[in-house]
Order: sequence, then structure tokens, then C-alpha cells
Amino acid sequence: MNKSEKAGDLAAREITVTREFGAPRELVFAAWTDPVHVSKWWGPKGFTTTTTRMEMRPGGVWELVMHGPDGTDYPSKIVFVEIVKPERVVYDHVLAPLFRSTSIFEDLGPRSRLTVTLRFESAKVCEQAVRQHGALKGLQEMVVRLAEHMGKGI
Amino acid sequence: MVVDSLTVTFAALTDPTRRSILQRLASGPATVNELAGPYRMSQQAVSKHLSYLVRARLVEKRREGRRHFCRLRAAPIRDVADWADRYKAIWEQKLDRLDAYLKELQKKEKP
Repeated sequence: MNKSEKAGDLAAREITVTREFGAPRELVFAAWTDPVHVSKWWGPKGFTTTTTRMEMRPGGVWELVMHGPDGTDYPSKIVFVEIVKPERVVYDHVLAPLFRSTSIFEDLGPRSRLTVTLRFESAKVCEQAVRQHGALKGLQEMVVRLAEHMGKGI
Repeated sequence: MVVDSLTVTFAALTDPTRRSILQRLASGPATVNELAGPYRMSQQAVSKHLSYLVRARLVEKRREGRRHFCRLRAAPIRDVADWADRYKAIWEQKLDRLDAYLKELQKKEKP
């Protein structure tokens, strides 16, 4: 870690992944936003996903369970912040680990590019969690859940 | 273990006063008096927060003459950063799967 990073936002970290697909943007957007499609690819290699609720609108909730290859279930909950068809999906992951994810879909003619950014922002996320849960206890529980997630190697 | 220290780091960061102390220390070491200056709380209360941060290994205290200097330790913050990097790997795998699925979908559309 360099000095400027250290002096910047504490424990804030952004990661970005980009991929070009040999498929038009509309299809990629549909594959992301349709519960039938998304369960086919969501999650790390070897995982399957069950969606119990997916409301594709700002403020809408996506509840899902990722099933690991060893049979372990990882519940996940997402709240959509912004959905602009077929350009952009922004959501908050509201269980540990807390982060905001932004997916940008770019039109490259018959091809397309998807850029996903995850922003882990401990300080802000902590404030949010405390507000949402009205108490520090909720956050402490999330931290414990985070530790459990880490323990399982997710 | 990394998991335990991450838990401690996150727990330490849950408090706004502690976060603001860390922000202050990010610009350089300071004495307990200097740190207590901007807060509407007793030096004792600030000391309590500092003790928490020392236990979380986010801050180290060092004595120079009669004064105690506090300094930010970057290692736990770096651990949080490393942890986030693991998510990059998970997303790369997701996009691999999405790529394969899109190919499958397109095959179905154009038999």
C-alpha cells in the first residue's frame, strides 16, 4: 500500500472487472436482469443459485441463495439502486460483505462490454448499516457473518 | 488469523469517532492531547477509543520523552484491501460463466 492510499479513504477499496462478449448488449443485459437467466451463471465456478425474489426496480429486492459445490448454502440479499435498460445496473449488497456494485453495459455493435465495479467502503457502509439496523448490534452480527463467510473461503 | 483480525478491523471502524481519529492519524502521528482537541468529549473518552484502536492494531502508541505519540498502522487496512481483491477473482469466474451461458443462448437462437 502506498502513502496516498493510506491517507485516502480508510479501508475503502474498489475492484473492477471488465469483459467483452460476442453477444449484443440487449442479450447481456437480459442475461443479467432476468431471474431465469441470471441463475445460470451467478456465483463462482461450481455454484448454483436459487432466486426466491427478484424485483427489478430501484429499491427492489433480490433474494437468492448460492449453493456451493460442497453443499454449503450462502444466502445473499441485494437491493437495486438504479436500473437503466440496457445500460446500467447498480445495487447494494446488504448482507456481509457490504458493497455497492455497478454494472455498465456498452454497445459494441454485435459485441458488447460489461464492466463491473464493486466498492467496499467500510466507513460509509458501517454508517449505513447502523442507520438501517438502528443499532450497532446489527452491524456486529454482519461482521460475524463476514467472518463466517471468510472461514468458508467464499 | 486473517479472519479474526478482519472482524476486529471492521468492528473498530464501526464507530465514527474512531474513524475520525484514524483519518486524523492518516496525515501523521499525533499526541493524545492533539487528538482529543476537536472532540466534544473528555480526553478520557478519547483515550478509550484509542485503546480500542491499539487493541485492533490500527494504532500504535510510542513514548517520546514525556509525550505519547499515536501512529496509524496500515497493515489491518491492507488486509481489508486484500480481502476485497478476492472478490475480483470471484467476479472473473462469474463473467467466465456468463460468457459460456451467452454462447449457449445464441446457439439455441440460431440452430
